[in-house]
Amino acid sequence: MKKRRAFSTAITIGALVFFHAPLVVLVVNSFNTSRFGLTWDGFTLKWYEELFRNREVLAALWRTLKIALLATPVAAVLGTLAALALHRHRSRLQQAHMLMVQLPLVIPELLMGFSLLLFFVATGWQLGMTTIWIAHVTFCISFVTMVMLARLQDFDFTLLDAARDLGASRWQAARRVLLPLLWPGVLASALLSFTLSIDDFVITFFVSGPGTTTLPVQIYSMMKLSRSMPVINALSALLLLATIVLVMSSHILIRPRRS
Amino acid sequence: MTTRRRFLLSSTSTLALASCEREDEGQPELPKELRVFIWADYIKPELVKRFETEHNCKVVIDTFDSNEAMYAKLKAGATGYDIAVPSSYMVKLMHQQMMLNDIVPGMAPNLRHISGDIANKVYDKLFKVSVPYAVGCTVIAYRKDKIKEPEASWMLFDRADLNPKTTLLNDMRETLGAALRTQGFSINSRDEVELGQARDLVIRWKKNTAKFDNEAYKAGIDSGEFSAVMGYSGDLFQVVAENPQVGILLPKEGVVISCDEFVILKEAPNPFLAHEFINFMLEPNVSAENMEHIGYRCPNKEAMNIVSPSFLSNPVIKIPDEVMNRSEIIEDLGDDLPKWTKAWDAAKAG
Repeated sequence: MKKRRAFSTAITIGALVFFHAPLVVLVVNSFNTSRFGLTWDGFTLKWYEELFRNREVLAALWRTLKIALLATPVAAVLGTLAALALHRHRSRLQQAHMLMVQLPLVIPELLMGFSLLLFFVATGWQLGMTTIWIAHVTFCISFVTMVMLARLQDFDFTLLDAARDLGASRWQAARRVLLPLLWPGVLASALLSFTLSIDDFVITFFVSGPGTTTLPVQIYSMMKLSRSMPVINALSALLLLATIVLVMSSHILIRPRRS
Repeated sequence: MTTRRRFLLSSTSTLALASCEREDEGQPELPKELRVFIWADYIKPELVKRFETEHNCKVVIDTFDSNEAMYAKLKAGATGYDIAVPSSYMVKLMHQQMMLNDIVPGMAPNLRHISGDIANKVYDKLFKVSVPYAVGCTVIAYRKDKIKEPEASWMLFDRADLNPKTTLLNDMRETLGAALRTQGFSINSRDEVELGQARDLVIRWKKNTAKFDNEAYKAGIDSGEFSAVMGYSGDLFQVVAENPQVGILLPKEGVVISCDEFVILKEAPNPFLAHEFINFMLEPNVSAENMEHIGYRCPNKEAMNIVSPSFLSNPVIKIPDEVMNRSEIIEDLGDDLPKWTKAWDAAKAG
């Protein structure tokens, strides 16, 4: 028994180190005078200073967050509705629907980005924030739908029947019973979409227009020629901090009410 | 609780929507806008601002991460950009594909400042469709504490005493190119016998290398993990400026030069402003200030007389004439590409 616990502790520690050591290295290097990060040359805040002076990076960051914030709620709503339809109805049409939802998950990003670009060009759509937003909603919907479908597997639909028996209208049952029970799933899938949207490079590169370079595109480009690469360490450290604060506050918000 | 969360959600989305609209509305009000498609951090931001004030316009900078991605995007029909900054070999392809606008010499009188040594190496020697912007090259960086008085030659990689403390670039044009130069052939050779000899030389060099690498060599030479690396001048500019233990060798056989150039795109909404921008970037004092910021040499004769001595003393900036004369710019291989990939695959496997 004791031995077993030691084993699982070792696994846990190993996994934690594996996941978090790179982050620690990144944060430490954001304070490192050395540009190249293999040796410690002393403490500095210059990368943070440079970051706040770098208007390209900050503009790209703001743009990226804006797209993610706008794409996430739409994808969450549409994806959840799609999952409900797919779960409740089994027809030929829904089979085709399922295929269309799964397609963006399996086709290579490059293909999706390029075909979206060709589509926008063919329809004469001006490339910019709107086209990025449409593209992001498109690929996020698939992920939301898959998460919600998994959630619905365990969902007890007799609860809805009970609500109807007790006199609730269809809308009331959906609003008071279905939605609150599905809410954690919706939130989880929204968080997933948010992350996917912030991360996306390939698709975004193709559908972005003049003046809409996003953070991942900026970072990839900086890797080639930029002399201020450590600025990215500083930015990542700040994003990490923001994420921790966000996750902790959402924990506080969602914590079940004490009776 | 629910209401608070709902409030939070709705307020963030309205905020985001509102600011989005503001940006969309703001654009048409501005008098002129110039859109530049370029690598990140490849122009000094203060100079862009100066151009904006002088010409009462707005400059929008967008970035790409490879010539090929930029080409694919523009070729597919993405429009709205005025200026792009492809490398010389890509200029050729874009020119052949009729994607470029002509440069009107009368609208860019500063073209006369461009250095002859670069002008006669690029694809478009008369600046009909492209204007050389920045030049880099592939060099050797070595640790002064590990190698005493090395010879400036690619054959440094043949020294068995360095085994396994060297790296070669994981790029067939660079590494096979250096091997071709070493044997006196052109870096753009399409001859299979020459390529075969280059392949055998790379296989010999490979015996002494830790790996083929394009990224980690900077940190590796800085920390002393490697004794000699083959690398891009732009990356090594910083290393030699900050670490006195690292020296640069410009191989006497000649080096591979890369040149990024301004082009005005066929569909440019504002070709007039694009000419003004290119002309502005070619002004000697602007060019001098810019190259010190980006760490690459801008091929501008007058500007080279203005730059600070410390910049000029960086060994990756000033290439001696005898090396320059033996150096070449990478050309697009076209249909001969498979010959190269075959030689490269064999070199990496052998």
